[in-house]
Amino acid sequence: MDTSTHIPSANFSRENFELFLIHEARLLDERRFREWMMLFTDDGTYWVPAVPNQESPFNQASLFYDDRQLMKTRVERLEHPLIHVQTPPSSTVHLVGSVSIESHDDAAGEVVVASSVIMADYRLDNQRVFAGRQTHRLRRVDDHWRIVQKRVDLANCQSAFEAIAVPI
Amino acid sequence: MLEPAINTNDIAQLIEPGRIHRRVYTDPAIFDLEMERLFGRAWLFVGHESQIKKPGDFITTELGRYPVIMTRHDDGTLQVLINRCTHRGPKVVNEKCGHRKQLTCLYHGWTFDTAGKLLRVPVPEGCAPAFNTDKYNLAKVPRIGCYRGFVFASLAQAGLSFDEHIGAMKANIDDLVDRAPDGEIAFDAGMHRYLYRGNWKLQVENVLDSYHVPFSHASTVSRDGVQFARREGDEKGTKVVAEGGRTADEWKKRRSFTVGHGHGWTSNTALDEGKRASPAFNQYKAVLASKVGASRAQQILTPKLHNTLIYPNVSIMGLNIHVRIIKPLAVDLTEVNIYPVRLVGASDEMNFGNIRLLNVTHAAASFVQTDDLESFTRAQIGLQSDLNDWVDISRGLGAEETADGVSSEFATHEMVVRAQYAAWRDYMCAV
Repeated sequence: MDTSTHIPSANFSRENFELFLIHEARLLDERRFREWMMLFTDDGTYWVPAVPNQESPFNQASLFYDDRQLMKTRVERLEHPLIHVQTPPSSTVHLVGSVSIESHDDAAGEVVVASSVIMADYRLDNQRVFAGRQTHRLRRVDDHWRIVQKRVDLANCQSAFEAIAVPI
Repeated sequence: MLEPAINTNDIAQLIEPGRIHRRVYTDPAIFDLEMERLFGRAWLFVGHESQIKKPGDFITTELGRYPVIMTRHDDGTLQVLINRCTHRGPKVVNEKCGHRKQLTCLYHGWTFDTAGKLLRVPVPEGCAPAFNTDKYNLAKVPRIGCYRGFVFASLAQAGLSFDEHIGAMKANIDDLVDRAPDGEIAFDAGMHRYLYRGNWKLQVENVLDSYHVPFSHASTVSRDGVQFARREGDEKGTKVVAEGGRTADEWKKRRSFTVGHGHGWTSNTALDEGKRASPAFNQYKAVLASKVGASRAQQILTPKLHNTLIYPNVSIMGLNIHVRIIKPLAVDLTEVNIYPVRLVGASDEMNFGNIRLLNVTHAAASFVQTDDLESFTRAQIGLQSDLNDWVDISRGLGAEETADGVSSEFATHEMVVRAQYAAWRDYMCAV
């Protein structure tokens, strides 16, 4: 094995990735959207499909499919004082669980982590719950894990939704 | 709040030249009457022929309160059937789309063909002596009209013909479909679905409203007042806000148009077509030019329409292309379906360019549509109060210019809203 690309086995502990996902969820709940965006690699994407088992974001509508450029526009809007759909803002709680390591690619320095996520979103006397399976493809960059793709498959992804402002 | 009963003869009094009574948005009795007199009569969009290419293909949808199935029958004909078993009433087909040779009701197994003909009744010896299967076919919608793949239906036996209804709007449909190098579009890229707690007409009014953009969508413009890019190949979007938060002069020049029947559109004057370029767009432009010629391609790609409304509930957006259907569910609840449009003959990259930008403009989690949903929801709340019964739609009243059956006015004014309510009154007052 080429040890120069080998990731120390310590980095593959499930707990490590669980802590990473907890950190990511906390950034969203604390509305630190810019820091959340910085978790993504420059080629990173955030994808929430609009149908179960959606094969591709390229030939079909998605609830979210942001590359870093669109993510930046999204974050700038979330920080904008005149974002009406967040006036007043949502209060969200993300719960991440059932974390497991699905696969790893030592050569690319990448690992795929699966988990479950539940997000409660409260705003203006109305609380909604989003639940789904999420898949994070993570890459080791400069000694930190960063997100190459975050995919969230919501149980009710085919629903007609009221406005969604905070990423799940 | 309990509304006093409305005399249907008084409906006309709810619409005045520059204002409308709030009850058109809040009164459940008026909503019921709309389902009967407007959605029960008007030409409504059912679907697109690309959704049912092969015999046996079907989609299901709703026309007002009627669940319907659109099928491609064995003989190639397009059928629009009422999705209600003629025996005891269940919805026969439950899926949004699929492929089936026969349609069987889950309850007692009555089976119909894809043109609605009743084929089999289980335990037939139990049928009454006079039972005649011919009388139990699935009901067909009385009238169907198609134009360039767009399928419309009317639940009324008589009334305005399809050509009378759609005639003046064909050019707007052409404007979209002609952008496809192969001259056809497909609805095969899924759909966005969103919901809001407000009356359906709030969304209908909004699609041609250029007045709200600098304010409702303030969070989508950068410090220089320019919106983010919404089309493949654009570096940035349109300038909508000038210094001091004022509406940009370019934006104020936009025009709106009406041609009667409630239809209308807004023009697109502020896009700099010359700067539109990307590998996917350049290649698409070349393919289009190879099919239709360079000058025709240039003509097709010159932005003319921002948004089109085919009354009562279809909008076709020319900016970042899509087709939107507005479905009233209750007086204060509305579902909207938005279909990305695939340009047949354009590359996958070009079509992806449209899909990815539509995600961020019109999905339930988008940057633009979400603030509109907030407006509709707040309007529905504000309109509950009878402190002020009237909603003002008087901007530009009397300033309309009319020639050859087309009226035009500035798009930041409200001529198109007045045209919608003139049509609304016509439908609602016709007994």
